[in-house]
Amino acid sequence: MGVADPVPWDASDPGLAPIGVPLVDLLDRVLATGVVISGDVVIAIAEVPLVRLSLHALLSSVSRRVPAPWTDGGPL
Amino acid sequence: MTDTAPAPATAHDRPAAAQDGPATAHDRPDRTVATWVFAVGRAYGAEDLAGAAGLSAAPVRPLAFAGLTAVVQDVPAALFGREALTERLSDPGELERCARAHHAVVTAAAACGPTVPMALATLYLGDERARAALTADAGRFRTALERVGGRVEWGVKVYARPDAAGARPGVPAGGVPGPDAPGAGRAYLERMRGVQRAREEGRSSALRTAEEVHAALSALAVAARRLRPHGPGASGERRTQVLNAAYLLPESGADRIAAAVEELRGRAGAGVDIETSGPWVPYSFAGEA
Repeated sequence: MGVADPVPWDASDPGLAPIGVPLVDLLDRVLATGVVISGDVVIAIAEVPLVRLSLHALLSSVSRRVPAPWTDGGPL
Repeated sequence: MTDTAPAPATAHDRPAAAQDGPATAHDRPDRTVATWVFAVGRAYGAEDLAGAAGLSAAPVRPLAFAGLTAVVQDVPAALFGREALTERLSDPGELERCARAHHAVVTAAAACGPTVPMALATLYLGDERARAALTADAGRFRTALERVGGRVEWGVKVYARPDAAGARPGVPAGGVPGPDAPGAGRAYLERMRGVQRAREEGRSSALRTAEEVHAALSALAVAARRLRPHGPGASGERRTQVLNAAYLLPESGADRIAAAVEELRGRAGAGVDIETSGPWVPYSFAGEA
C-alpha cells in the first residue's frame, strides 16, 4: 500500500520539470527560506489564497481545513 | 515575510504605456519593467549567468551593489505586479514553473561561487530601487555569504509508514467473528483498540527516531534547521512525515551524510523511512540563523 519509493532527484514529470528537483522540497525552500528583504512588489505569500492553492502540500493545518485544489494529488 | 515593506507599491498600478521608447535602460525609472532578484553573491560575470533562462526573455545579469553582486532579470511589470503575480503563483502549474525557473538561476549562480538565494518573488520597480534595498541589507548578505561559502545543504525527511509492523494486531487467532456471531461487538472493539494502540506506539517510536536522526545529523553539520513538516496527504503521500530538516555541510560532506543516514536507517527499523535530498544551494541557511 502507500509506500512510495524515495523521490529520485530526476524523476519528476519531464513536462513540468526541466530540473528534476522534487517540487515539494523546492517549494519548502524558495517560499519558506532564502533571504527575505522588503520588495517593491509585495505579494502575499503567507496569506490564505496562495497558501490554500499552493501550499496545501506543506501545511497540514490548512489542508485539513480547506479542500485540496489538486484533485489528482498534485504534480508529484 | 515581505509585509515589512514600507510602501507596498505595485507595478501594475502605474500606467503601462507611460514610456515611449523601448524598455532597455536599467538605471532610469521605467514603468514597464520590474527587476526580479534571484540571489546575491560576491561577484558574477555576465557570461556566468548567460545560460540561465529565468522568468522572462530578458537576459539574467549581474547587478553590482555595495561591493557585492546580485543576480537579476528584467521582467514585464504588467505580468509581475502584485495582483498579477499573486494570481499566477496561485496556480500550481505557474507556481512550479516560477519556482523551478528561480531555482535554476540560483543553482547556476551558485556554481560560480558562494551564493545566497532570495525568497521567491523578490521584485523591485527598477534597478535603482533594487540596489537601494539590497544595499540596506548588505551586512546581512555578507554574514550569510560567510556562513554558506564552500558549504551545501542536505535535506532529510523521516516518515512513519502507515503499514508498519504491528499495525494490524489484535485480530484473534481464530479469525474475525461474523457480524451476527456472539461477541462480535466486543471483538470489534478490542480490535479497534489494538489498532489504535499500535498506531500510537508506531507514532511515538517514529517521533523518537526523528529526534535521534536530527541529533545525529546535527552533530555532523555546521548548522541544522528544522523545516515545517509536510502535512498528511502532501503530494499523494500516505506516510506521516515526522521530520523535515536541513543540514549545512561542507561541500565534501556528501559521503559523511550518506554513511550516517545509512546507519540511521539500519537502526530505525522497518516502520520508518529516511529520505535525503541534495545537495542544495543553502537556501535554509541564507536568512537569519
